[in-house]
Amino acid sequence: MKVGEPEKFIVKGKRLDGRKLDELREIKIEAGVLKRADGSAYVEWGGNKVMAACYGPREVHPRHLARSDKAILRCTYNMAPFSVNDRKRPGPDRRSREISKVTREALEPVVFTNLFPRTAIDVFIEVLQANAGTRCTGIAAASVALADAGIPMRDLVPACAAGKVGGEIVLDMFDVEDNFGEADLPVAIIPRKKEITLLQMDGNFTQEEFEKALKLAVEGCMKVYELQKEALRRKYGGA
Amino acid sequence: MVIPGELIIEGKYKLGEGVFREQGKIYSSVMGFVDEKKGYIRVIPLTGKYMPKVEDFVIGKITDVQFSHWEVDIDSAYSAILNASDYFRDIDIFQTALAKILAPGDLIFAVVREISPTKKVYITMADRGARILKGGRLLKVGPTKVPRVIGKNSSMISMIKKETKCDILVGQNGRIWLNGEAERINLAVKVIELVEREAHTAGLTERVKDMLVREVKV
Repeated sequence: MKVGEPEKFIVKGKRLDGRKLDELREIKIEAGVLKRADGSAYVEWGGNKVMAACYGPREVHPRHLARSDKAILRCTYNMAPFSVNDRKRPGPDRRSREISKVTREALEPVVFTNLFPRTAIDVFIEVLQANAGTRCTGIAAASVALADAGIPMRDLVPACAAGKVGGEIVLDMFDVEDNFGEADLPVAIIPRKKEITLLQMDGNFTQEEFEKALKLAVEGCMKVYELQKEALRRKYGGA
Repeated sequence: MVIPGELIIEGKYKLGEGVFREQGKIYSSVMGFVDEKKGYIRVIPLTGKYMPKVEDFVIGKITDVQFSHWEVDIDSAYSAILNASDYFRDIDIFQTALAKILAPGDLIFAVVREISPTKKVYITMADRGARILKGGRLLKVGPTKVPRVIGKNSSMISMIKKETKCDILVGQNGRIWLNGEAERINLAVKVIELVEREAHTAGLTERVKDMLVREVKV
């Protein structure tokens, strides 16, 4: 047993933080929090605190990256040095580059990039505090930031993870479960079309467990979707 | 109010900006308000960058001077081009240094003449309203708020101009240029900021009027 690993993950049907197996952590989303960015969002998801900012469409620098038929979408995921227990060495690393890439691929299918040829749409995701599930938090925040910037989109993109701890399939793991659990499955979807734009897996599931976890994660996404819509409505004071 | 991906309506409509069709249903692609007129449906956006349209007046800032044209920043996704021939009809570019006419940093009030299929934006000074802006102050509002600043039949902007005795030009790209006495410009800026902040509320004209009457006397 490793240091910090709990003896049991689930006691009397409740998880270590008191949640049920299929319960999300508390999520707060706020749109339009930054004045200088074209669009922004701040998300608190359990212990995660993530800020997303969006710029554009704007001219592409360096020029050779521009596409003459569509806008390019650029995503940058970054963790603040103080976002984790041990100081995170600042700057891009293997992990953040991977997350930047999957975030872009999760968002790209919904953005009408064909409307803005020769431009770039930039999304910056800053993790201020991490507590497992930051890539999902980041995608959820980035999609609200894009909407806040007025960039045409087919839909919002909610994201949520499911996983396996103590032999049970659970929704939205927090850090202890994530560190010592058996599997993790982050998912992002396009809710209306029920299409999956992000699907990663870390650990081992049986096929039945995988299917159960995926279903659970999609249900979680739908709840996040409602919160995203609510956040946008609240910002612009409409019914 | 609608948000991206929200179902607006089903049926046969012509599609304007901010909407898209998927399997016969029409959805919004941006945040905004639905506007339907004579079978033509669109969403008036609440936020977003300025997208140039032909015949729009814009306030541009010269960023670069070339042999036969200027490059102009119009605070949009695309920068604009002002050809020398769009400045003087009979210009001889071999005899004239364009930098002596307009240098980087100069402001102009110009009209969008053409947008090419590759989204190159051409602006022109060959219009009665177009001019070079000297002095004054530049203000920036959201391009989606510009119709409110101008008002119906330019009622709002005329009122602000009349009461503050300022020279004010509003570009569709959200830039506003003001010229006059410093005190009066300050007032006009305050009023325009009020309009931007409360653009979505009713009875705005009355409140602006009250503010102007109150402040002008002091």
